[in-house]
Amino acid sequence: MELMKSSDNIIQDRTQQQHKQEPEMQAQEGQQEQGHHFHVLAVDDSVIDRKLLEKLLKVSSYQVTCVDSGDKALEYLGLLNNLDSDSTASSSSSSSSSSNSSSCSQSSQREGLKVNLIMTDFCMPGMSGYDLLKRLKGSSWKDVPVVVMSSENVPSRISIRCLEGGAEEFMLKPLQLSDLEKIEAYLLKSLHLSCTNIDKDDDDNNADHNSDNNNDKVVNNDSNIDKGNNSTSMNNNFSKRKALSSEDTESRRPKIKGLAVAI
Amino acid sequence: MERNPIRRQLAIMRQSLFDQGHVDEQFVQLEELQDDANPNFVEEVVTLYYRDSARIILNIEQALERKPFDFRKLDAYMHQFKGSSSSIGAKKVKAESTLFRECCKSGNGEGCMRSFQQLKKEYATLRKKFGAYFQLARQAGPVETASRPK
Repeated sequence: MELMKSSDNIIQDRTQQQHKQEPEMQAQEGQQEQGHHFHVLAVDDSVIDRKLLEKLLKVSSYQVTCVDSGDKALEYLGLLNNLDSDSTASSSSSSSSSSNSSSCSQSSQREGLKVNLIMTDFCMPGMSGYDLLKRLKGSSWKDVPVVVMSSENVPSRISIRCLEGGAEEFMLKPLQLSDLEKIEAYLLKSLHLSCTNIDKDDDDNNADHNSDNNNDKVVNNDSNIDKGNNSTSMNNNFSKRKALSSEDTESRRPKIKGLAVAI
Repeated sequence: MERNPIRRQLAIMRQSLFDQGHVDEQFVQLEELQDDANPNFVEEVVTLYYRDSARIILNIEQALERKPFDFRKLDAYMHQFKGSSSSIGAKKVKAESTLFRECCKSGNGEGCMRSFQQLKKEYATLRKKFGAYFQLARQAGPVETASRPK
């Protein structure tokens, strides 16, 4: 195998230039800024897999937060605060006499925390990925797409259970750069959902793009069949893809690198 | 081809890791994640792997000292170990992990012990090879952006 570095340096230079042109997008590790970067919450008990996932996502220009358990994920998202009554949560919930459970969780959500995608390992000690999925889908974070990952080919009844539980997809670990294109689709879906809440005209605009995206759908459905993916949801995702400007799309593309020299 | 003799040696070592079946495609994925911001990423991951998996190996060793074997526990440990090994592309180690798990599933205690001995051998061999490889890689230094392999 030839070791080539020259081409990916060009890609990296271009990326660095883009970052320079957008000063508010300073890559600051671990901060949750309301920037242009998608923010992914990764949940995995394996330190190796966390490190890999973090790098995969960062290389593709996503912001990443890693936690090592479902409990930590819920804590991070402010969902564990429902049970304890700390001063901020109780004061805001007591003031609204008609508060239901979802508004309680809204008030205990971290101020301005934005999470665009949650990726969780399936098999974890304590709270499993499936348990976490169910908790998320029953919370104020239910609209955030969730991808479940597993290190082995789990029986289809399990992957189907996850999909029925609201997961977007069941992905096989270790994840590769090529898998990030699917993740991009889910992130765009979450973006569209938030746009839809503001402006319903987006759907009309996307209708023209559906025919262009048929090829994309075919290619990706084939690769997803053995993973038990819900192909109809993928269709919707890809129709939304071209809603973004081409500038955004370029920065979202996973940075596929040539074979790097191991230094 | 590399003109620099150290880099050439490095390329040869790397190729033999693949040719001898010690690492698989996943190792290439690790290399693809390495960049100027993280020029030692692969070494970091491998170092982390050996540190983290040492703990699991110890757990398995201790579990194998308790008779009768708790096959569910042994399998759970090996599931973890296999996952990590797979993530770094440690092909032979991963294959041995699979054998061990099969022995667990069939309640084959003898098979578990044999498999575990073999696994530890492969694990140690790979560690030595990685050690030599990364040592040389550090000597080779960072790749200059201007240079193009001939």
